[in-house]
Amino acid sequence: MKEELAKSSQSTISSFQVFLIHVCCGLALAVGFWVARNVYSINLIFDPTTTLRLIWAVEFPVVILLFSYFRQKPEKCSYLKAIARGLLGLPVGVLLNVLGALALGAPAGLQYFERTASWSLLMSSLTFVPTACVYGSCWTDWHRIFACTKPKGPLDFMLCLPAHGAVIGAWFGAWPMPLDWERPWQDWPICVSYGAMAGYVAGMVGSLGLALMHTGGKQLKAE
Amino acid sequence: MRGWWRFGKWTALIMFLHIIAVLIFTKGFLLTRTELPHSSHCSDLSQSPCHSSSCWTKPAVDRLIIIVLDALRFDFVAPSSFFEQKQPWMDRLKVLQRMALENPSSAKIFKAIADPPTTSLQRLKGLTTGALPTFIDVGNSFGAPAIVEDNFIKQLIQNGKRVVMMGDDTWTQLFPNHFNESYPYPSFNVKDLDTVDNGCIEHLLPSLHQQDWDVLIAHFLGVDHAGHIYGVDSTPMIEKLEQYNVVLEKVIEELQNQSGPGKLHENSLLVVMGDHGQTLNGDHGGGSPEEVETSIFAMSFKDLPSLPSEFVSSSCEPSKNMCISSIPQLDFAVTVSSLLGVPFPFGSIGRVNPELYALAVGTWNLDDNRTWNNQDETKLEEWLQNYVNVICTNSWQVKRYIDVYSASSVIGFSSEDLFHISDLYAKAEENRSNSSFYKNESSNTSLPVLKRQIGAYFEFLSYVAELARSKWTEFNLKMMGTGIGIMLLSLYCHILAIRKLNKSYGGSLLLSRDSGISFGLLLASFTVLMRASSLLSNSYILKEGKVANFLLATTGIVTLRFSFMKNKMLLEAATFLLLAFIFRIAIEVGLNKQAATSQFMSASSSWMLGISISESLWTYMAEIVPILALIILGYFLYKAISSYRWGIAKCVIMGTIFSYLLIALHWISESNVLDLAHFLKGFGKNYIPRTIYSIGLGQLLLLAFVPLFSKEETSNYKGSLFVKMISILSACSSTVIILQGKQGPLVALGSLLAGYCMMRLQGIEQHTLRGAEVISILDPLPILQWSLLAVCLFFATGHWCAFDGLRYGAAFIGFDDFVLVPQAILLTIDTFGFSHILSVLGLPLFVAFSSMPNQTEHRSLFSIKLFWIFMVYGLITATTVTATIVCVAIQRRHLMVWGLFAPKFVFDVVGLILTDVLIFVASIYYF
Repeated sequence: MKEELAKSSQSTISSFQVFLIHVCCGLALAVGFWVARNVYSINLIFDPTTTLRLIWAVEFPVVILLFSYFRQKPEKCSYLKAIARGLLGLPVGVLLNVLGALALGAPAGLQYFERTASWSLLMSSLTFVPTACVYGSCWTDWHRIFACTKPKGPLDFMLCLPAHGAVIGAWFGAWPMPLDWERPWQDWPICVSYGAMAGYVAGMVGSLGLALMHTGGKQLKAE
Repeated sequence: MRGWWRFGKWTALIMFLHIIAVLIFTKGFLLTRTELPHSSHCSDLSQSPCHSSSCWTKPAVDRLIIIVLDALRFDFVAPSSFFEQKQPWMDRLKVLQRMALENPSSAKIFKAIADPPTTSLQRLKGLTTGALPTFIDVGNSFGAPAIVEDNFIKQLIQNGKRVVMMGDDTWTQLFPNHFNESYPYPSFNVKDLDTVDNGCIEHLLPSLHQQDWDVLIAHFLGVDHAGHIYGVDSTPMIEKLEQYNVVLEKVIEELQNQSGPGKLHENSLLVVMGDHGQTLNGDHGGGSPEEVETSIFAMSFKDLPSLPSEFVSSSCEPSKNMCISSIPQLDFAVTVSSLLGVPFPFGSIGRVNPELYALAVGTWNLDDNRTWNNQDETKLEEWLQNYVNVICTNSWQVKRYIDVYSASSVIGFSSEDLFHISDLYAKAEENRSNSSFYKNESSNTSLPVLKRQIGAYFEFLSYVAELARSKWTEFNLKMMGTGIGIMLLSLYCHILAIRKLNKSYGGSLLLSRDSGISFGLLLASFTVLMRASSLLSNSYILKEGKVANFLLATTGIVTLRFSFMKNKMLLEAATFLLLAFIFRIAIEVGLNKQAATSQFMSASSSWMLGISISESLWTYMAEIVPILALIILGYFLYKAISSYRWGIAKCVIMGTIFSYLLIALHWISESNVLDLAHFLKGFGKNYIPRTIYSIGLGQLLLLAFVPLFSKEETSNYKGSLFVKMISILSACSSTVIILQGKQGPLVALGSLLAGYCMMRLQGIEQHTLRGAEVISILDPLPILQWSLLAVCLFFATGHWCAFDGLRYGAAFIGFDDFVLVPQAILLTIDTFGFSHILSVLGLPLFVAFSSMPNQTEHRSLFSIKLFWIFMVYGLITATTVTATIVCVAIQRRHLMVWGLFAPKFVFDVVGLILTDVLIFVASIYYF
């Protein structure tokens, strides 16, 4: 049923679907945390690398499977192809996130490499992969969503807002790092990950709100 | 000139306001302690409740030899078994350890705790006055003024003791005409390890045979200088320590030979002490354990009883059978005064240290049958009775000082504290009058009473010392408030001026400017506010370079996004980010250096990439790359100027290129890679830098005066602005580069490239919004980036906001001896060269390259935009400094206020005034 809906056009994505996707993504994050804590009894503070990878391992399939349903031009692009696009988008996103983090002052030492990589995997799945699934390599769409920030329609909101939220959240999450509180969570990239996830959730809430407003406005217009 | 005055008056007004605000605030903030002119006299004691036969205390020693070893770390003296790990510099002063081990009752090693600031001058002041030195004195360290407060040397003179001094000439500056004989040697030539020490040694041993002195002071400087130049873990340092060991061996042997009854040193006390410690890099000034922990070794030449254990605060090393007690340096003046029997310095708040006192005391009534070691209670009681008298006098003197101080100073101690002090003192006194009843009774009851009473006095004295330490900084809140108020007023003026400029700019462009709030403005304000509020926390101040770089990279990412949006100048934006990354690595290298010396930071090597390049290739690269960069810089200069015709500029540029060649020659002559440079060594070392300085000065004079005589109106305003900018930048650059050392040309190249990228990227946000005309829009974002870059440059060139962050070595490039004025100027140029001087002078970059229509009628437009840029840059700097000032005021009771906030305040304020002056000068020059 979802496939049929997605086939028709991007604009027909209903606010309920947006809600569903966001709830699933959010739940995936929560499940990742839960599994890390209760099954493997690790957490972000004491073993950031493994935990981040674990969360990513839960989140990434959910994201890639969900967003591939809403791929653009479904008649030309099969579901599997969309998934493949997402898989290809992942390393590109990882690279961009790593470069961005390094430019902003993430530790560049080799001993931090694993942590940076795991963090970037998660960041990439939150920011880059959804758009890669939906739009593939269409430059104009990427340009519209990420460079100009001019999303149109709930689908664009759904891609744009959580991604921006994650990046901005990560940016703010970096601020406690230099403080001399000597807490273990001040280490790279723990508080940055918390910030990114908080920003991601905030972005999802915003996107949902906008989607509701959007469809609400449309209904008003239709009336 | 009238045209200049239209906007130039604002720069003058703002500069004036800043200076006033800073002066007022500084007066309120850095004022700490009122120095009282009173001094103690023998006759004063009649007012005290304590009884003593002679003047204050009975003299316990006749002669005192004080050997001060500057920057003596505690671990230079203490046995290495006290530390976790044996380091190469430990156990070098073996003779002291041997003496302390062999005669534990007459020779002892103490850990002395100095109070920050740990600079020699402050420490000598603290050692002799027994008071707490103040922060503002740090500034006087380069021209030591005479001490006006009562001090131990003054007391010696007043009471007819003869003092001989040799070594560091700071003593003669602090105590002019106090010494019977003095052999001062210049102390500021850091590179000279031996002159002072050899002078000391030359006079020290013969003096020991002389009879014409009572107190001898010998101040050795070699260890301090070796630390400054080579660091603690170096061969010169170890050689120095071994040399001292030999000297001390000779001195002790000499004293022991002369210590028999009736001989010259029958009743002498030898004190070997440091004035402060030093970090492993040889820096000192702050309050880290390494800097404040120094050592006192005291030795008398008689066998004496050991103290009752209640008064011993030792950390013992049972395996080596040796105990080391710790003693605040504050106690030194009063203890030594009591031993020599002179009145205690009026302002001293120290306590007569029982252990140091015990080393010498008893010499006046040592019985032949040596009953001391037999635990004879009467003897012990006698000793204690005597000590009670001394400590009673001591407490009375401190109480008197506190009373006089709080009477004469408006904001002294709070009445609550004063009441507590009086209460403690009254309790101790009551105890004493009670104990005098027991005087004639059996010793069994008297001994605990005496001990209890000493305890009461100790309680009083330690409370006073603690209170003085915590509360001595007297902030004048009214003045601080006024200063902040004027600072805020100046910010308001700044904004007003910028608005005015905006208006006339829009007016002459005939543009109806819309709301005027662009994204760039919002982002710039947000970034400045983030940076300003980050100064509230000590952690962000410590990592200021990284914070600035983080913000710089953030703006870089935003610009990159814009360039994606417009699909142009992607390369520039990416290069800019790459440069931000490179600067960040440089900043982290600088931070690591800082961490090695700072008490607040722990070193982390997160930036290490683990590159393992073979040693020789690495050194070879380190020699070659800066010279290559210099050549590239010179080539750029040549290319930049070749298309323009302006006689003087050509002259100036040629001069600079010649200077660059000289710099390259200088570096080659300093390096060891090429052997052919050997013959240059003697010649080039000083003359090349001096030639470069004079060429730079000549270029500046040329640029300043020639336009006065030959007024050439060029139609090409942009071109002439560019030429002017290039020529003044090049005139300044050669001096800055040689002072910065080999990193100089690389940093210069990097900032040149970054400036180019920023210039290209300016206004990219609005590029296609309103056509070509709007390119000339006033966009604060690139100026913010430029100012953040300037902050990054400050930290990337290995500076940081602390006095040990000053690169004193730079002041000696081209000079061997210490001459105050040129060296202060060189140090200023080195510290603020890239971050302030070149940054402000390079600001016209954003006008000279802008794609505004280049016609004569737009001339006024250009100058308005130039002024606007200067004003915005000034506003950004002023906002940050205002934030610093406010944060310093808020954090004035912070633990790190003297260690971190005050130096940051001083650096920022000096930077602000410098920026104002430079903006003022530049606005005249460029107009």
